[in-house]
Amino acid sequence: MQSAPLPETLANLLRLDPNSTVVMIVTSLIGAALIGTLMMTNTALAGPWAKRKITAAFTDRIAVDRIGPYGLFIIVADAVRLLSKELIVPEGVDRPAWDLAPLVIASTALLGFAVIPMGNGIQLADPEVGLAYVFATASMASVGLVMAGYASNNKYSFLGGLRAVAQNLAYEIPLILTGASVVIFAGSLQMSEIVAAQQQSLIGPLPSWYAFVNPFAFVLFMIANLAEVGRNPFDIPEAPTEIVAGYQTEYSSVYFVLIYLGEFIHIFLGGAIIATIFLGGPAGPVLPGIVWFLIKIWGVFLFTQWARSAVPRVRIDQLIEIGWKGMLVLSLANLLLTAVIVGVTVQ
Amino acid sequence: MSLEKPSRDTALDVGVTEDGLDYDALADLLGGHVLDREQHVNAEGFVIRPDEVQEVLSTLKEEAGFDHCSCVTAQEYDDRYESIYHLRKYNDPTQELSIIVPSPKDDPHNESAARVYDTADWHEREAYDLVGIDYDDHPDLRRILLPETWQGHPLSQDYNQDQPQIVSLREHANPLDEDKRSEDDPDTMFVNIGPHHPATHGVLHVETVLDGEQIADIEPDIGYLHRCEEQMCQQGTYRHQIMPYPDRWDYISAGILNEWAYARAAEDLADIEVPEYAQVIRTMSAEMCRIASHELALATFALDVFGDFTAVFQYGIRDREIVQNLLEDLTGQRLMFNYLRLGGVAWDLPEPREEYFEKIRDFLDDLPHKLEEIHDLVTGNEIFQMRCVDTGVLSKDQVKQYGATGPVARGSGVDYDLRRDDPYGYYDELDWNVVTEEGGDNFSRVLVRLREVEESARIIEQCVDLLEQWPEDDREIQANVPRTLRPEPDKEIYRSVEGAKGELGIYIRSDGTDKPARFKIRSPCFSNLQTLPEMSQGEYIPDMIASLGSLDIVLGEVDR
Repeated sequence: MQSAPLPETLANLLRLDPNSTVVMIVTSLIGAALIGTLMMTNTALAGPWAKRKITAAFTDRIAVDRIGPYGLFIIVADAVRLLSKELIVPEGVDRPAWDLAPLVIASTALLGFAVIPMGNGIQLADPEVGLAYVFATASMASVGLVMAGYASNNKYSFLGGLRAVAQNLAYEIPLILTGASVVIFAGSLQMSEIVAAQQQSLIGPLPSWYAFVNPFAFVLFMIANLAEVGRNPFDIPEAPTEIVAGYQTEYSSVYFVLIYLGEFIHIFLGGAIIATIFLGGPAGPVLPGIVWFLIKIWGVFLFTQWARSAVPRVRIDQLIEIGWKGMLVLSLANLLLTAVIVGVTVQ
Repeated sequence: MSLEKPSRDTALDVGVTEDGLDYDALADLLGGHVLDREQHVNAEGFVIRPDEVQEVLSTLKEEAGFDHCSCVTAQEYDDRYESIYHLRKYNDPTQELSIIVPSPKDDPHNESAARVYDTADWHEREAYDLVGIDYDDHPDLRRILLPETWQGHPLSQDYNQDQPQIVSLREHANPLDEDKRSEDDPDTMFVNIGPHHPATHGVLHVETVLDGEQIADIEPDIGYLHRCEEQMCQQGTYRHQIMPYPDRWDYISAGILNEWAYARAAEDLADIEVPEYAQVIRTMSAEMCRIASHELALATFALDVFGDFTAVFQYGIRDREIVQNLLEDLTGQRLMFNYLRLGGVAWDLPEPREEYFEKIRDFLDDLPHKLEEIHDLVTGNEIFQMRCVDTGVLSKDQVKQYGATGPVARGSGVDYDLRRDDPYGYYDELDWNVVTEEGGDNFSRVLVRLREVEESARIIEQCVDLLEQWPEDDREIQANVPRTLRPEPDKEIYRSVEGAKGELGIYIRSDGTDKPARFKIRSPCFSNLQTLPEMSQGEYIPDMIASLGSLDIVLGEVDR
């Protein structure tokens, strides 16, 4: 299962010397561009098209079907439309921060994909602290949200920013604690190790994916992930009916696209983490690994959209309560239990 | 106090007799306060002095049980101004009394009733705004519908319509700049919610002071959709020209209910008897409107709580669409029906009748299943309950103080439904129930609407049965009404029907011409919206939004 990271494979493919630093830098950049493009393509598919189609299916509508097969060319039309909108810079915004926020939101989410093993040797790097690195990059988006909320000079944005922080604090800890229980099972933070540890059979043909080994942790993680990516019932920082659009109220044109892009990449990153640590990564029969990997992250995406269509939003104080009083306790219990079980069985 | 209480309870029905109110007894109760007595079509009117309003009204409220100030009408005569307080009782709205307060032409002012009935606050502000009467001791006498810089009072006699109105941006400064209400407390923040906001159901502006996420102070600012509906009705002839307007008050599919309010008032004013067959058709179509309206209320409420255009919204719209199609078949229109006529309806049921009845029955047969679906998805959802139970609570007393009616009142356990309590149309011949819930919270109001849909379906079913068996030679849809209607001069009437949102009342004064001299609309949304501060003070923003949604206001009807 262990394969060379993507830059090395690329260097070999291009018949260059993998020991040269320059070659490694160049191939790393090429690899990063490839992975970035792959994720952006998924986002482009998800944002203007799949999201509409999925929501329409849930709400008994048809959605986009005018341009191209299944309305797919709406992606192009939307891209042109969004990019040609006027970029409105409101008076009194805190300039560098206001401009940086969309960039931070969009780019930090992409960083996480660097260590995700996507199958067929597509993994940019495989550091020993892989999982810690992914969680770190995923939560950096909150910084962008606060920047956007605070710099916009808009009270709705401000409320949205505050909500984003409160929400992330309440959910990041259970999320990471639940992730840690997987680390105890696998005995490593390294992503490839975690994937490898899930390959044996659990019972019969059922693989020992951690979703099957510890379904409780899986459910906890899925819920915390909904809050992490800000989808119903936890779309509180945006809450259109309450605070207009939260931190993104004042953004238009390219900045709007960047924020949306960031959100969708974030959902996919959440999906990638879930796929990697609970669903065996790129493992699966017949089809190549990368296809299985994409199916899994799209499955998680579908779940978020389902929740968005059918579940009411909780109130901010209720969310904090669920996070600190419910999820945190449950995730600690899960961690403790896992540690005991692993400790007993290993001996 | 303990000695006083029982005597008060017995005194609560001063003048109540087997066959209606004994106004002499009421006049005796008020003694010398009553200067004169007038006969209105709906009730007797007592004329009182402008500086004794509070005393008279609180006597009537405390001792005669008139706990519902349903409307305040102001108007200008050639020799005086006049405010009329239309009082009635929540437990029997047929017991009505009008208190007439004349005030001098040169300096029109009288005592405010806002200290007695909270609802009079907004009603008197409107009277001040449009007619120009000053109310002494009013807590906050400002314009309510027109901009604060408006010159003159449009419904007063000397108002010059051609006078240019200058509403400069500078004078109408952005309230954000001042942040006036947050000065005394640096921890609060002033936020304008609306007039452009995803959840205000139209152009409503809610001035809100937030303490963190909680509401410290809140004040709805209305009037953005004021279209001079009352004045337009005063310029139309009774017979045909007024009927299209009611469709445009509560324009969200409640058209026929609104039309009925005008039809009822005008028919009683001109002594028109409506044929029974037409009454059945009216009843059926009105209940269809109620279903459509409640479905939309549920859908938009779900939109507010769920947070997006989600499945529930679409479910509500899907079911409403079927009713809309039925109404379209009947009236030829989907929203602005203009179907009722004075003395009847515009035309008979669409041919072939069997096919139409079949369609209605199909709809009624599917309805329980669809409501079940909505209960599964919405009211049975734990998160929904978490959000709605015990939020936006409105007590019985608050309901009565603010004159709230309709599902808002019934959601707080106030058993008040004009279809049963002040019967009109064909309702008293049919078998149906008034739905009440005791909770008084957002959840109860949703439940009331959902259960009322079931009751409306029962009414429609019975109407269809009746219409199906109606003998063919007796299908009279229109009474004999003169081409030009000229009610006798100086007849006054206040009549109301149970609209989709509550008591929709019309006051008309005739002056012998073919147009009303004063046409006043008592909008249920206007009174219901007044309760918003009571419901949301101290609660979180999301709860305020949910409460606003559960009030189910239509700004077209609030602002008129």
